[in-house]
Amino acid sequence: MIHSCIVLIQLGRPLALFVALIALASHSTFADAKQAIDFSHEVVPILRRHCVDCHAGPQAKGGLSINGREELIDSGTVVVGEALASELVSRLVAEDADIRMPPPDRPQVSSKESLILRRWIDEGLVWERGFRFDADRYQPPVKLKSVNVSHQTESAINPIDEILRRENYIAENAVSDELFYRRVSLDLLGLLPKVDQSREFVADQRSQKRQILIDQLLTQSIDYADHWMSFFNDLFRNDYSGTGFITGGRRQITNWLYDSLRENKPYDAMARELIAPIGDETSGFADGIRWRGEVSAGQTVEIQFAQSVAQAFLGINLKCASCHDSFIDRWKLEDAYGLAAIYSARPLDLYRCDQPLGRVSSPAWLFPEIGQVDPDASRKDRLLQLSVLVTSPDNGSFSRAIVNRIWYRLMGRGIVHPVDAMQSEPWSEDLLDFLAQFLIDNDYNLKSLLRLIVNSRAYQSESVQGNGRPDDTFRFEGPMTKRLTAEQFLDAVWQITGAGPEQYDATVSRDKFDETAGDLPRLQADWIWGSSAAEDSVPPAGERIAFRKIFNFETVPHKAGAVVTCDNSFQLFVNGSYLGTGDNWLSPEGFIFTDMLTSGENEIIVVGNNAGDSPNPAGLFFEAQFTMPAGNTLSIFSDASWNYSGDVSVNQKDLHRDSTAEWQSVTVLKPLNVWEQAVERLAPSVLHRVVSGKRLMARAALMKNDPLMKSLGRPMREQIVTMRPTDFTALEAMDLSNGDAFSETLRNGSLKLLRDTSRPIPDLVVYLYEFAYSRKPTPEELEITLQYLGAKPNENQLSDLLWSIFMSPEFLLVR
Amino acid sequence: MTYEIDREAPHEMVRRDFLRRLSMASAASLIASEPKRLLTASDQLDSPEASTLNPVATADACILLWMGGGMAAPDTFDPKHYIPYRNGLPVAEMLSTFPAIETSVDGLQICQGLENLASVMDRGTLIRSAIQEDLGSILHSRHQYHWHTGYVPPQTVACPHLGAWIARVLGRRDSFIPPFINIGQRLEGVGESEELKAFTTAGFFGSEFGPMNLPYPMDAAKAVRPPAGMTEGRFSERRKLFERLLDSSPDRRKLSDYQTQSILRSLDGVHKLLSSKDRHAFDLSLEDEVSRSRYGDTRFGQGCLLARRLVESGARFIEVTTEYVPFLHWDTHANGHETVARMHREIDAPIAQLILDLEQKGLLDRTLVVVASEFSRDALIEGVPGSSAADQATEKVDVVSAMKHYGLHRHFTGGTSVVMFGGGMKRGFVYGKTADRRPLVAVENPVSIADLHATILTALGISPKTGFDVEGRPFYVTKDGHGSCVTELFA
Repeated sequence: MIHSCIVLIQLGRPLALFVALIALASHSTFADAKQAIDFSHEVVPILRRHCVDCHAGPQAKGGLSINGREELIDSGTVVVGEALASELVSRLVAEDADIRMPPPDRPQVSSKESLILRRWIDEGLVWERGFRFDADRYQPPVKLKSVNVSHQTESAINPIDEILRRENYIAENAVSDELFYRRVSLDLLGLLPKVDQSREFVADQRSQKRQILIDQLLTQSIDYADHWMSFFNDLFRNDYSGTGFITGGRRQITNWLYDSLRENKPYDAMARELIAPIGDETSGFADGIRWRGEVSAGQTVEIQFAQSVAQAFLGINLKCASCHDSFIDRWKLEDAYGLAAIYSARPLDLYRCDQPLGRVSSPAWLFPEIGQVDPDASRKDRLLQLSVLVTSPDNGSFSRAIVNRIWYRLMGRGIVHPVDAMQSEPWSEDLLDFLAQFLIDNDYNLKSLLRLIVNSRAYQSESVQGNGRPDDTFRFEGPMTKRLTAEQFLDAVWQITGAGPEQYDATVSRDKFDETAGDLPRLQADWIWGSSAAEDSVPPAGERIAFRKIFNFETVPHKAGAVVTCDNSFQLFVNGSYLGTGDNWLSPEGFIFTDMLTSGENEIIVVGNNAGDSPNPAGLFFEAQFTMPAGNTLSIFSDASWNYSGDVSVNQKDLHRDSTAEWQSVTVLKPLNVWEQAVERLAPSVLHRVVSGKRLMARAALMKNDPLMKSLGRPMREQIVTMRPTDFTALEAMDLSNGDAFSETLRNGSLKLLRDTSRPIPDLVVYLYEFAYSRKPTPEELEITLQYLGAKPNENQLSDLLWSIFMSPEFLLVR
Repeated sequence: MTYEIDREAPHEMVRRDFLRRLSMASAASLIASEPKRLLTASDQLDSPEASTLNPVATADACILLWMGGGMAAPDTFDPKHYIPYRNGLPVAEMLSTFPAIETSVDGLQICQGLENLASVMDRGTLIRSAIQEDLGSILHSRHQYHWHTGYVPPQTVACPHLGAWIARVLGRRDSFIPPFINIGQRLEGVGESEELKAFTTAGFFGSEFGPMNLPYPMDAAKAVRPPAGMTEGRFSERRKLFERLLDSSPDRRKLSDYQTQSILRSLDGVHKLLSSKDRHAFDLSLEDEVSRSRYGDTRFGQGCLLARRLVESGARFIEVTTEYVPFLHWDTHANGHETVARMHREIDAPIAQLILDLEQKGLLDRTLVVVASEFSRDALIEGVPGSSAADQATEKVDVVSAMKHYGLHRHFTGGTSVVMFGGGMKRGFVYGKTADRRPLVAVENPVSIADLHATILTALGISPKTGFDVEGRPFYVTKDGHGSCVTELFA
């Protein structure tokens, strides 16, 4: 203490002395003065705050670099053990502004900080082993590095393997065909391979069979879209329920996202449509969540926009910089606000930690080196400009972020890890930038990227175990063993038991796009309505009329199905009995009604309703297809031969008709474009689906989040959470061991298996093993299971076997 | 650097053959995968420091009664000059909005509304000088994170909750009850739930040491029963089938994988809990009506009762919260006086009853009960970035003009009350003191979060310098190992 006073007196600054004494006194009251200086926690923050901007990393102003202890000593500014003799110390309090450090225009070292520095030098300049100021400040270059490889495609030598070999990363053993199929099917489609397909694949002798399989899996665009919905819902924080919806403070992008995935829309186009919304269907991402009540300046929708764009598309965390200059990376408050101001419809005041700074932020994006948004342009134009800048090939962070996320999803660990901290150093810069450039060169085609990765030897090698935590010394040795995600787990259970739910919550027009359907029926129906639509007049709001068609069958058809849609809604009755309803004219509904028909006369009645507050277009579209015993098909469809009546009403599911109802000829309409589009796009496959009896399984990705999925790791999506847990938790074990929901799923599954299977029990066990594990049971396993099941198992016994299979690590992990 | 081999592992690897084999096969991987405990001087028994650094436990269990949202000390355990409501009351004069009452300790006063607690203060130690760091704009979830983990967010690693540290170091007591139970806090469907989840976790220790969350104490029994429709016999047969199949699996060579272990250990823990009699501790319907009603019908009250039953059956660390929901309960940003009056009613009888019950059952001596909150409140404005506690006491408005303005509506980190009962603490003791005039900062014996944790940990026999190697750097149970135990509090 006295020591430091002397210094200050020598420097002739009595006021500073006073301050220093106070500081010292209060310091010793609250902390243990005997404690040795803690370099990492006491010294480093001071050096970071005051010195590293000019004297660390590549900066060495005045020849001083403090990157490491040696450099600091070599500079001669420090005499180890003698703070008073050290220039570093005397400069802190120098009177002469030219000598004084930090320079007078920068925040000054406080007396408390200066005391710590002096003690640090006096105590021998303790330095944490391996610590360097330049080591932890990796800065990803804005542009991609050009990486040379001899082949650009997945054939011949996969460029991924070439790069890995060059960098001495070795993934040794190829994974078996069985496990490969299970892995690649789960990774690309989120589904287990079916038993017969798996057997076929293993038996296939062609040398290119893995490549062929991959290509085939990637054509299954419904399964693909179903599966990747989870990944992109996490990334774009889109969900079917959650905070914000109840007050209209949040909008889904579900339909757009699903269609984009199904069509394999280029990823850069997806990004542009989200950043500069093309309409209500994509505005949900940019608009974020409008929280109820007052929110802090760091959670306004404008700031959310900045955070979401940066995190989702660039892997940059602006959450710190949304309140103040980031302590952990280069981003500053003004960067976050600049991005937010691009979105903002009003002048955006800068706030630091909720305190207004009295300044308005100017629209600007993060990497002006590749171009900038025009701050004077309209909001719409600013967003468009931003969307172009973000997705510019010159912006390496965009392509890097997505290839790294996909690599993480397939390999269990990112090339940069964690994936939302793209400011960290990749374990292979070449691999990351090669993949990023590959994506750009392939027009941002995500399936091309997936194809490239899963065709690599690196992907097709045996999986390795991570240790569950990040590690600076990571070395790639093969894909990590991954956990089934919440969605994969439930889908797999539903696949095996065949007892998944039939309905799903996402409003996607999913199974209406079944490309595997082959030749779809050509529909002939007209759009019809009553006389209120005659001669281009517009029907009144609230109009309700019944449409009728009577027809005869000599023999009852083998199968009868119909597709129906009505602007705005309808109820369907066959021979007086209620069949179903629909209230979204954009989404035609399919119905099966074979059992409701009789030989002789049959009657179909559709009650149509026009909604709205004022007159607006209304129309009904109906087409039924009958498969007759002779094998031929017949159709009934809405056309001029139908009648309508206003004297029919519906109460719940009962049809009430006035006995004196008058039936008149319908009006055939000139359909609206939107009607035609909806019908053209969806109705043929809906009809085909119902008539052919093909039904796609509901997928967990399309269901609302629930407690079981939450405990299995599906995030809430109120924030962007892009990584799923690797560990199995006690909470999950509880939900799966004694939760009622999962128990019910198992019970329904075993009932269904017992009802549907005609197999002998041993064959059923073999089937379960092959489906779940992609291998046959060993004789020992078979013996144990058969002993438990007995000759004629009930649903409890089978449930217990299913539980034992589903809880085994072999099932829960993707190896 | 040297590491200690995980002492807990062998006896966690239980009866079953496959698990025994697993433990043999996987000792190496266990050491490799989890954060490794650092060998400190305290582990060397011949070290001269061993006796001070390796404390002898004065408590086997800890119940943290969490007053989430910021409990105003001047309106609870640290009454200041009381001025009743009047229109035009200058805010600067508003220190306490409740009058003081006498307690069972001579000369010790607490606020009116806490009469039951007043009657048991002779069993407790009252710290009036707890202080928290000012984290810029004072935000509940950050301070709660800080209080519960000992570290200020954000951190580069996922910090474990204090309960997870205790679970990791001490493990379960001689029961199958999970070592870390969290009662009363909903983690879904409430505001800031993501932030709450951020510290309601075992962090880098892995989920095994994470909390068993029981947001609704009345339904706790459901969490430890076989699923609806399954008999206990069948539940146990199913488990046997699972074990036999696992044991005969050709996959068993991979059982040492860390993910596999996390699966097996989680399932095993659940099975043991559900098949032991310990599960009855969760069932509040087994408590007789009279004693149940003494705790009141609130979730906090029933949570206190559940905590008592769990401690009786061998729980290690339990947190019971009045629940943090933004702008509710202790988060009194408006109408503070009336809200705090309700909170008094909510906590007064249950806490006092818990202390009396523990005492009557002979458990209080070895159970440390801690009543704490993330910070206190004052009538004046909360801190601004970079401010000290003294700066937090600056005025925002001049006068109180409506009843809803009457109360302590602003966050304050300069002087907070913490009450500790049992577990080796002194009885009828008051430690530290806050100023009687603004700013109401601790003026005597300030106790930081690190020191408070050090005290709690020491009572449980855990050195405040206990550390683990996390991502290659040492990580300590109190920040950087610097927390020091307030020895004056111990009897």
